[in-house]
Amino acid sequence: MNEERFWLLVSLKLSGEASPAEIAELENLLLQNPGLGMRTELVNGIWNSHATHDFNKEAAFNRHMQRLSNHLSEPVLQYEMEEPEIEAIETERTSFPLRRLVYWLSGVAASLLVVFFLLKSRPEADNSSGIAKNTVTTKRGSKSNIQLPDGTQVWLNADSKISYNEKFQGAIREVHLSGEAFFDVVRDESRPFIIHTNSIDVKVLGTSFNVRSYENEKKTETSLIHGSVEITLRCSPDKKIILKPNEKLIVQNDELQIIGGKASTQEASKQPLLTLSRINYQKKDSSVVETLWVKNKLAFDGEAFEDIALKIERWFDVKVNISGDKLKKTPFTAFFDGENLQQVMEALRITGNFNYYIDKKEVTIYP
Amino acid sequence: MPTPLTITELQTRIALYEDMKAYKALYDLLSTSLHRFSFSIVKSKEVAEEIVSDVFIKIWQIRDRLPEIGNLKVYLYTITRNFSINYIQRNYKNSSVSIDALEIDPVISYGNPEELCISAEIIAQLLEAIRQLPPQCRLVFQLVKEDGLKYKEAAEILNISVFTVRNQLAIAIHKLSEALPSYLRQPLQTLSRFSAS
Repeated sequence: MNEERFWLLVSLKLSGEASPAEIAELENLLLQNPGLGMRTELVNGIWNSHATHDFNKEAAFNRHMQRLSNHLSEPVLQYEMEEPEIEAIETERTSFPLRRLVYWLSGVAASLLVVFFLLKSRPEADNSSGIAKNTVTTKRGSKSNIQLPDGTQVWLNADSKISYNEKFQGAIREVHLSGEAFFDVVRDESRPFIIHTNSIDVKVLGTSFNVRSYENEKKTETSLIHGSVEITLRCSPDKKIILKPNEKLIVQNDELQIIGGKASTQEASKQPLLTLSRINYQKKDSSVVETLWVKNKLAFDGEAFEDIALKIERWFDVKVNISGDKLKKTPFTAFFDGENLQQVMEALRITGNFNYYIDKKEVTIYP
Repeated sequence: MPTPLTITELQTRIALYEDMKAYKALYDLLSTSLHRFSFSIVKSKEVAEEIVSDVFIKIWQIRDRLPEIGNLKVYLYTITRNFSINYIQRNYKNSSVSIDALEIDPVISYGNPEELCISAEIIAQLLEAIRQLPPQCRLVFQLVKEDGLKYKEAAEILNISVFTVRNQLAIAIHKLSEALPSYLRQPLQTLSRFSAS
């Protein structure tokens, strides 16, 4: 018997590429040559036993996402060229955010782009002393609209604080923000506009966008409506994210260390620490969910009840207590325009299957 | 082994919705195999990981055009191969390198010897037999056996004919069988004379 033919048939069968005729031929040969049976069985066993390969894909993925986010500003791949010299960026690569920076885009939302990033937050840098500072603070339950000396409009949401140098005349226009604000920045290419929050710096050239960075919230969000912004993480100043219109950036405010790709806190490691995503458009009238508050509308878009509670607390200046872990995590989507606290709670209750009572300035929610 | 349909679904979701979950799922499905493939060529785990990362960055770069790619799996392997060869060329200054000329060290190790009812020594002999195969033959064996690639896919990735893939695999299997000790070559009914070792 031709052993070569036999093993060819075996290999065809093992790889799943044997035709029915070939399978039949193999079975025939096995019947005629029982001596081959044992070896065939063993080869079969070896084929089906799986090799282990030392590769931790979870850790590698995290490192990969970090490289991906770095890469957004430097589009040349290291191993793509045979020679290591940096080649000129082909004009064909117009899909990079770096290119789109120059153009104004309006209309339909760019789609979801998520970037994982490990973040280490530092305490806020000391402000330069001696210069008079203006500070505007809003309390819970109230909003404010101010105009900066350069004409930039700022809408401050509840429980927020913004401060800036009184004269606002330096080479850089700077403000410090804690809370949530919507900016409509006057374009001045010679003087970049920079917003400092606890974890990120947002640099703009003349644009409208929303920044949300509350101390008691777990994340910092920046949503871009028009123009372009460049975001720098305060812990890693060399990493810059450029937002395209209709994108938003969410940064987790946790203290986390990245050392060779290993996160140091277990519970936070499941959460993406930096998320770049699409702005939520309310389909009916294409208003941007993230900035509805500027128009005095209260909105939640698939947010967990406990996060909504924080919004309600600030909006109405009340205290909200929710009991029940499942209830806390229940997501709600709702839009309110001018409703009072009672009406809002009632509307949520109908859809959300829970109970509540309001006692002066305190709302208690239970399953 | 990732089914073609799943990969196509992921491909579409990444292209149309920039779906990050799909992107991660794709990475989860294929990164280990691609890493093993690259490692066979570049021989450094770190370099292989960077190469796989570059491959997935490229996928992200061209996400709009992903639906145009017929077989994404083959595409990923092919770029992995190209990037890996570029690395070798850059670092070893060879002018033109083909897979055959490379010192390929395929990563093939076997699970539990007890499960296979053969001893660790025999497994070592088997591994040695594989190591002695020509590079291309070893790669074919790895791609088809470990990664479950079809002949056609392996052929495309390695830039050889399907016929060659078929023959190379047959040679590999034959060599494997020859590495098994001779007492196993007896007809089944006489094996009762030997006790388990």
